[in-house]
Amino acid sequence: MRGKTRISLAALAAVTLLGAAAAQAETEITYQLWGSPQEGEVWQKVAQEFEAQHPDIKVKVEVNDWDSYWEKIRVLMAGGTPPDVFAMDAPLYPDWQSRGVLLNLQPYIDAEPGLLDDIYPITLEAYKTKDGYFGLPRDFQTIVLYYNKDMFDAAGVAYPNDSWTYDDFRKAAKALTKDTNGDGSIDQWGFWAEVVDPEPYWGAVVWSFGGDIVDIPHGKTLIGSDKAMQAWHFIADMWLEDKSMPTQEQLQQYGTDGFQAGIAAMGVSGHWSVPDYAPAKFKWAVAPVPKGPAGRVTGVNSAGFVIAKASKHPKEAWAFVKFAFGPTGQAELAKIGLAVPIRKSVAESPAYLEQTSAPIDHKLFIDALQYAHPKPVFRGYEEWSAAVGDALNSAWTGALGVDDAIAEAVQNGDEALAKNRQ
Amino acid sequence: MNFGLRPLGGEKLWVLLLLGPTLLGLVLGAFGSIFATLGLSFFRWDLLTTPEWVGFDNYLGLAGDRMFLRSLSNTLIFSLLYVPLTIVCAMAVALLLNRRIHGVGLFRTLYFLPVISSPTAVGLLWTWIFAQDHGVLNAMLGGIGIPPVRWLGPNMALYSVVVVNVWGAIGEGMIIFLAGLQAIPREQYEAAHIDGANAIQRLFYVTLPAMAPSLFFQAVLSTIHAFQAFDYIYILTRVGNGNSSVPTLVFSIYRNGFRFFRMGDATAQAIVLTAIIFLFTLVYFRIQRRWEVPA
Repeated sequence: MRGKTRISLAALAAVTLLGAAAAQAETEITYQLWGSPQEGEVWQKVAQEFEAQHPDIKVKVEVNDWDSYWEKIRVLMAGGTPPDVFAMDAPLYPDWQSRGVLLNLQPYIDAEPGLLDDIYPITLEAYKTKDGYFGLPRDFQTIVLYYNKDMFDAAGVAYPNDSWTYDDFRKAAKALTKDTNGDGSIDQWGFWAEVVDPEPYWGAVVWSFGGDIVDIPHGKTLIGSDKAMQAWHFIADMWLEDKSMPTQEQLQQYGTDGFQAGIAAMGVSGHWSVPDYAPAKFKWAVAPVPKGPAGRVTGVNSAGFVIAKASKHPKEAWAFVKFAFGPTGQAELAKIGLAVPIRKSVAESPAYLEQTSAPIDHKLFIDALQYAHPKPVFRGYEEWSAAVGDALNSAWTGALGVDDAIAEAVQNGDEALAKNRQ
Repeated sequence: MNFGLRPLGGEKLWVLLLLGPTLLGLVLGAFGSIFATLGLSFFRWDLLTTPEWVGFDNYLGLAGDRMFLRSLSNTLIFSLLYVPLTIVCAMAVALLLNRRIHGVGLFRTLYFLPVISSPTAVGLLWTWIFAQDHGVLNAMLGGIGIPPVRWLGPNMALYSVVVVNVWGAIGEGMIIFLAGLQAIPREQYEAAHIDGANAIQRLFYVTLPAMAPSLFFQAVLSTIHAFQAFDYIYILTRVGNGNSSVPTLVFSIYRNGFRFFRMGDATAQAIVLTAIIFLFTLVYFRIQRRWEVPA
């Protein structure tokens, strides 16, 4: 027995040594992102194309679900071994950037004149700081209205169109809310949305009613203004009075996405929902979000790349970011159909516009930029969003009246903002 | 009387070597993190920059932190219901299964099953049981003409999750109580029987006093579980964006530490949690000592 152990130990040591020797021949960088395993595969492909052009660099792609991803990055960062390149959600960027753990990309960008020329300017805004860019956008998401054509047809309601106001929207939603099997309980709702974070729904409604979300320089949560309150009452009337939206408890019976589950005739979401909805058994399409008293406003948000300041291979990491940010990388990403490319030449080309997996109006997501407000981006975003969301939720469950819930949300939100001031 | 295998000569080295990683992991992992948690609770630390000494600020800040206070009150109410209910239910099941009945092994397995089932799967199953329109419970109520109850709505959610957690904990308590019951000498029952004690008297004057150690052990264990309750509750009450309509202490600790960049606040909350459990345990020990003296 003992002899055998020795042999296997020796073999193990040899294999380890060999592996180490092989790895030294090239520089390995890691790229971590949140997302589905399918997204990981696409990125693997992008990495392979990059490796073909840069034979001395190897990219290790690692994908995790949203929650695990952020835990992992924090722990790796705290342990001093962060990934070289990692994905960033724009609203969370100031939390990381202000703590000095991201590499300043400005010198690299300065060395590449014209690098940012082809990029939609609104997607760059979130990453700009007074010291330059510490991150670059990877793709963007504008929120549009998704609708289930089969349900509209069955109810004889006209499809949403360009001229729709929130009143038209509310009327249609009411007409589409039904007890289809006649068992005495509603099983089809006109609209479904998650009303916790400003994205995807309530931020856009507050803006289109003329309200605003936060005033960062003064540390104020603005969602309690008169105009914003009109938006909240609109949402509450539709949800709690018309009952044309399922409650959290009703939704829970079918899944987490009411549109995908086929119980809601309309939903609001970004392009990320397209791959989820594509295999649906019902016919669906997209339309612009409705107009409010202050016009049509939607939200836009972006995911981006950042490089860890502690990266041992910043040059190689930049080479990879530049590639993925560039036309080849962006074209490859367009094919996943999960987001909109940040590069105009790619977004306005067949690579993005003609996605065979989902024959919908993809251009709508680009046109939406003209009336989109960026999702708020500030230090302490996640804490603020949770603090506000907790209070909002108590309105939707009926624990608090809408006015009280918003008053609490403002108070919670302002406390969170105060705690995160520098 | 030592029949165990003992390492001989050179094997001792191997034993140490092979146990080393586990022992080291235990010392560093368990004790290391306990001390680190205590230490960090006096710092402001976001995991990314150098920790900054703040003395008792994190603890003082908790008093005005409404999100923390809400989770603390949820956890306290939960525990006050959960601990006695778990003990009573587990004891009842243990007493029923401590007889010579057919299929006793099957019943014991069935009651223990929740303990080893995946909390996520079980949580989803309960979501279906509690469901408003198509749920099992409301269908049963509907059968006898009672209108549907919003089991996971704002008024009932806390009680509904207590039920699920008690259900999940009966098996574990049952095992402990069964072990205690089987250690009671039969002679005591026979003597009580001869003295004319009926079944109820035998329960209160023979069984329960003899079970005191198991009861206290289970009380301590249930209290620890109650204050650490998280998985079923989160699955049953989650709302979008990682929020929960019944946030608990452990949820608050997780959120502060891993989502809000507040490891200092999170560790201070963890220390408060430990202190509460410790306090309850002390109280239990006091009661147990009092109970045991006259017996």
